[in-house]
Parts: sequence; structure tokens; C-alpha cells
Amino acid sequence: MPFYEVENLVHAYNRKPILKIRQMKIEPGSITGLVGPNGSGKSTLLRLLGFVEKPLKGEIRLDGRPVKPFDPCVRQVTLLPQTPYLLKRSVFQNVAYGLMVRKQRSNLKRSIHQALEMVGLDPGEFGMRQWDELSGGEAQRVALAARLVLRPGVLLLDEPTASVDAASAQLIKEASLQARKQWNTTLVIASHDWQWLREVCDHIRHLFRGHLLATGQASLVFGPWRPAGPAMVEKVLPDGQRLQAMGHPEDLAKAVAVFDPDDFILSNRRPTGPSKLCWVRGSLTQLSVEKGSRRLLATVAAGNVPFAARLEPGEKHGACPLVPGQALWIGYDPLKVKWY
Amino acid sequence: MDYPLKKVGIGTTLIAFCLLLCLSGTPARAGSSQLLLATTTSTDNTGLLDYLAPHFTRATGIGLRWIAVGTGKALKLGQNCDVDVLLVHAPEAEKNFVAAGYGIDRRQVMYNDFVIIGPLADPAGITGKEVRSALVSIKQSGATFVSRGDNSGTHRKELELWAGSGLELPDKASWYVQTGQGMLATINIAAERKGYTLTDRGTYIKYAADHGGNPPLKILVDGDACLRNQYSVILVNPERCPKVKSDQAKAFAQWLTSPQAGKLIADFRLMGKQLFVPNAE
Amino acid sequence: MDFISHGIAEAFRLLLSGDSQTYSAVAATVKVSSMSMAVSLALGIPAGFILGYTSFPGKRQARLMVDTMLALPTVFIGLLVYALVSSQGPLGDLGLLFTLKGIAIGQTILALPIVIALTAAAVEQMDRQLRTTLISLGADRYRLLMTSLWEVRHGILAAGLTAYGRVMTEVGISMMVGGNIKWQTRTVTTAIALETGKGRFAVGFALGLVLILIALTVNVSVSFLRRK
Repeated sequence: MPFYEVENLVHAYNRKPILKIRQMKIEPGSITGLVGPNGSGKSTLLRLLGFVEKPLKGEIRLDGRPVKPFDPCVRQVTLLPQTPYLLKRSVFQNVAYGLMVRKQRSNLKRSIHQALEMVGLDPGEFGMRQWDELSGGEAQRVALAARLVLRPGVLLLDEPTASVDAASAQLIKEASLQARKQWNTTLVIASHDWQWLREVCDHIRHLFRGHLLATGQASLVFGPWRPAGPAMVEKVLPDGQRLQAMGHPEDLAKAVAVFDPDDFILSNRRPTGPSKLCWVRGSLTQLSVEKGSRRLLATVAAGNVPFAARLEPGEKHGACPLVPGQALWIGYDPLKVKWY
Repeated sequence: MDYPLKKVGIGTTLIAFCLLLCLSGTPARAGSSQLLLATTTSTDNTGLLDYLAPHFTRATGIGLRWIAVGTGKALKLGQNCDVDVLLVHAPEAEKNFVAAGYGIDRRQVMYNDFVIIGPLADPAGITGKEVRSALVSIKQSGATFVSRGDNSGTHRKELELWAGSGLELPDKASWYVQTGQGMLATINIAAERKGYTLTDRGTYIKYAADHGGNPPLKILVDGDACLRNQYSVILVNPERCPKVKSDQAKAFAQWLTSPQAGKLIADFRLMGKQLFVPNAE
Repeated sequence: MDFISHGIAEAFRLLLSGDSQTYSAVAATVKVSSMSMAVSLALGIPAGFILGYTSFPGKRQARLMVDTMLALPTVFIGLLVYALVSSQGPLGDLGLLFTLKGIAIGQTILALPIVIALTAAAVEQMDRQLRTTLISLGADRYRLLMTSLWEVRHGILAAGLTAYGRVMTEVGISMMVGGNIKWQTRTVTTAIALETGKGRFAVGFALGLVLILIALTVNVSVSFLRRK
């Protein structure tokens, strides 16, 4: 049974719609990545999943039961906001807060020390520090420790590594995965860190202007687009290349083109001869193993726009092996582009 | 490691603190059995009441507390039944007060007198004149005259004097300054502006003493019959105000107009000078 | 103005010689301001929290009203309370006129808008993430309220101290409702007005210094809370 079920969710602030999700499921113990530009509704979705606020319409079920904020079962879910708030108290008291409201006073000190160690903070050194005596990365880790100490069933992370130093980011990533490993915690992570999400997530979901787009490793290209012939639009990439696609997007300035990773063909030379495919030139920036499918994902940046292509097992590209940095041509069928 | 308990500790402290404040805040109600007098600032500021009150309590066993305000406000407090008895000095207003049924049994107690003071240079040349011609001279010379302008007994007296001199009240004249403040503040303003003003003698004696006996303003006009400042005691009408302590108030009025009190008033000295002349009938 | 130096010397003389009139006025001031502050805080902090934290129909109007009441002149409040507690007034039977309790009613009207407005302002400036954080850590509604209040304690403390400063230094209400009765309702401020009226500027100045000393004592004893 899925842990989370979201149905016909609508949320708005001041009558301005923020989020509209028809259906979404999150399996227990899974890791879900949420990606999308700023303002796409990631934080709002996490706040709703965290039962911090009530959706305007629709319902969110946890283990099959509809749940509202302040319901007792909400306590197995915890959210780490993007800019975490530390209570104006010591680090120890900050981490203790969740346990205190749950009246779990036994082994308080040991649990707190464990949680601090999990995020790489020495309890002896940091326990007595005040909330305002921490760096940004340390504060973020204290906030995470305050969640981990609860051994949460669901941990919702909103851009957990966006505004911290590399070392803290590393520790935060490790600690989150540790929670999953130790307590089978379900993780939902909103992040711009593509590489990390690809490595760890079972599912990746795109949010755009409040809508859930094609799931998986799809590449998104944002507007503005301009007309380029009948039923054809194009976007000028930063390096001057023109990316063309078929379709009639409603609002050329804001339309988003979605490219499926299975629809790309990679080549080290521009193929000649007649073809219905379009080609853009880029360079290979990353190769990774897709979790689950165990297949290779290649990221090719064309004029700084990343395109993710899923490679068939044993696929040939004319120039094997692939080496990051090498120039590649990406071919795609302009008819297969989806629009949002 | 019981830090979280600290919060509870402070909360309790705050509650205890509030309770303490509430308890300590319960005022002593001792005053409720005492007679409440509304009087003018002059009797309080000169110390006369501080001097008389213990004698009154010793003679009658009645405690006395008082509110010192302008005569206008004192009469208003009496009209609202908020005090038991009045000691004021504005005969015309007092008669109206009694006529309206707000007060009863008005009796004269004592008097002092008003004086017109001004700078030694005396630009209007009023020294030694009668009140009537002095005011005319001030008006004609355009010299500054400072008025209380606060509906107090002194202010009412001043208005009476302008009217008695056949002059229109110079309400908006540039040389006529209305302070709306107490007597001493008004004298100080007159000194700053090198102007004239009307004051009761008691306040002037204090003012002179404050300046080491050599004040910038001197008494220029005094002794005129119309400058007399009559103080009277009035009982708040117990028929209108059933809650007033009419028996004690009556005892106070009786005592204040008695020969013993008269002697005490005559003996009262400020800076070695007699301030009030008893004239109870 | 030599009364200033005289006043400083006089302030020390009054306090050190245990001058009974001065201490009576100090006691009246402390009593009456404590009463009005206890009521103002008890009513004002919850009201300010509601005003700053929640949204309800008419909130803007309520805010406007509270902000306007910050400008109530003390003499006006004095007259208002006098009208209420005068023998002829609706509360005349309670015998509050010319008592410290009567003054405390007026001072509560003075302090309440300050406590409400400043508490609401402090709560409005509260980090929006606080609510998210507390709920996501499992706080229930009661805990949410108490912890939020505790988080803005510095703002609320500032609200209390500002109101206390206003209450302790006002003259209009004490004079009008209290009547400046010696040994009973004579507060430090009405005593200053009286002594100034008598021309005893040095004594008036000295009493002003005494008032500042009381304020200093309150602030010092409250500052231990601020450090937490």
C-alpha cells in the first residue's frame, strides 16, 4: 500500500492558485525527488505533505486515512524547511524540542547526542551553543538533527543543501540517507542538485507552475519560444543554436518543452542525409547510473541547457567509450516534444 | 541536563510576580472613612491645610484629606457629589452654586488679599494708584499684562476687576497674555515678559522668598477694598448627594468658623508674614 | 539654573533620609503602576498575539483602532475614567474615585493599546518559518502558542517596558482620577506637578530623578529575562 496518496489537490494563497495535483503516490521507504524552477510549488507541496497547512481542496491520505494538520498521526512526518528556524535556545534544547512535545524524556541526552553525531556535530562542543552562535551550515544541520532525533517515518527536505557549504551539504546528504537506511524513513527531497537526486531517488517528479509534469528523468526547456514556421516554434539557446519543436504552446513566453530521456539519440558527428530528426550540438557533462533501471544516463549540455538521455544497454555512439567533456550531437524527434 | 524545565521556571516566576503585584496593589482603604475636602491650590500650596488638619482631627476625631484644584474644578467636584465639603474663594460662583441647589450652608472663613505686581521700572506708571486707574493705565500704555486665564478664583477676580473698571476685557489684545497655568507659573511668565499680573499675596510672598527677598516683580497696587479675597466653606447638598458625609462636613464647617480655628488661621505664618485674616461670623 | 544641582542633591537627601512623603509617593507609584501593568499584560499579550498572528474579518479596523488609541491623551483618559467612577457615573457605587484602583483603571486604558500594538508588531515580525518548524516538530496548538510567545519574548518584554514607562510617567490620569491626595493617591508624578506649582523646582527635579531611579530598577531587574 502506498504511504502517501494525494488526490485532486488544489492550494492557493490569496486566491492565487499555487498548486494543482490530480494524483500522486509515494511508496513507503522510497526516495522521491522534486524538481522544478523556483516558485513552481515545491515548497508548498512539501508543506502540505508535512501537514503544516491544510490544502484548499482535495485530500492527502497517509496509510489510507485522510489526515489534517494537528492529527496525532502527523507526528510521524517531519519537514525541514529551506531556511530552518532555530528556537532562541541552545542547540541541545532545539534538538530536544520535538521529544519534549512528545513527552519522550527517557534517554533524552543520549538520543540528542546521537542525532547531533549523525549530522557531524560534536555534542560536547555544540550542545551548549546558543542558536545564534552557529554558521549557516551548522544551523541547517542542527535543524536536521532536531528531525532525525524523532526517528521520523517521513522526512520532507526542502532544498536542504541549497544555502550551505560543501562540507555541510555532504553531511546533510549522508545523514538523510542514514535515516532511510536505519529506520526505513520515506524521503521526499526538493532540490536543484540534479546529480544527487539522480543518484539516490527512486522517482523524480517535476513540478512546474503548480502542476506535476512528466515524471522521471525528463529534460525541461523553458521559454521564451518564438514561431518558426507552421506548427513549429524555436528557442535560441545561449550559444546561438536554435532548438526547434513542433506544437502550438499557448503562451510562447512561458511554455515548457519536455523531452523524454528515451527519445534522444546521441552521436559524435552530425548525421547527414534526410531525417525527420532535429540536431543540436553540446558536450557531455555527466554520466550516471540510473537508480532502479541500472541504466546509464548521459547529460549533455547544449548552450548550458542540460539534456538527459537514457542509453540503451550496449548502445553504440560511433565514438565509444563516452568521455565527459567530449562534443556530442543530440538528435530528437520534434513531433515527440510535449508541452506544458 | 534539565534545560527544558527552565521555561517552566520562568513562567512560574512571571505568574508569581504578577500575583505579587496584584496583592501589593491592593490599596489601603483607610481613607474612605475620612472627610474629603475640595479646595483651591492656594490653601494647599501655602501649607495652611497641612497646618490646620491635625488640629481639626484632634478637636473632632475626624480625619481630613483634600484635593487641591482650581475653584472651577472644586465646584464641579461638589456638583458631581465626589467630595463632601468645599473651601473656595470665588464668592459670585459660590452664590450661584448654592442657588442651584448644589451646596448649602455657605459660611465665610477668612480672607487674604490680591495685589497687582509688576516690574520695578513700572512702564505704565501704576505705583500707588487705585485698581481702576491702574488697569486703565496698563491698557493705555500697552504694557504686558499676564492673566491666569484658567477660570480659577484669581482669574475670576481679575475679570471682575476689568469689568469694575468699566473696561472691556482685552481678550485678544496683543499685550494681554493668558497663560492657563497656576499662579506661580503665571508670575514667572510675567517676570520673563516684564509684565504686570494679579496674584494673591500668599503666593507672592513665597515667590519673593524664592528670589531671596529681591524678586524682579514688586507689589505696585494693594490695599484696595475690591482686592479682598474671601474664602468660604460650603457643604455639598446632602439631599442631592445622599452619600456625602454631611455630619462630618458640618462639623468641619463649624470648627473652621470657630474662634479657635480663627486664632490658628491668624497665627499661621509664611516667611514670617501673616497670610490669612479670619472673618467668620 | 542652579535648581538642577540643588535637585540632584535633594534627590539623594530625600532618598537617604527616608523622607516619608517621598516614600509614600514612590509606594503609590509602584503600587498603581504594578496594578495597571498586571492587568494590561494579562489582557494585552493574548489580544496582541491574536491581532498579530491570526486573520479575521475586521482585523484591519481593529488594528487601526488600537494604533489610534496609542495617541489617547492622558488627560482625556482621566476625564473618561472620572466620568465613569464619579459618584454620578455608572461605576460611582464602587467608590473608585480618588483611589489608586481608580488611577489603575485609567492607566490600564493607557497601557493596553501599547501592549497590544507592540505585541502584535512583534508577533507579525515573527519568522514565518517558526510556525512551520514547530508544527513539523510535532507541536500541538497549545505548544504552538506558548513556544511562539516565548520566541517573541524580547518583543513582548519591550512592549511591557514601553507601557510601563508611559504608565509610570503619566500625570493627567493620576491627577484627575486620583486627586493628588497626600499619603494616599499622591504619586511621584503628581508630587512633581505639585512641587513645581509651589515653586519648589529643586524638589520637583529631585522627584523626577527618583522616578528615573525607579525606572532604572525595573529595567535592571527585567534585563535578566532579556539575557535568556
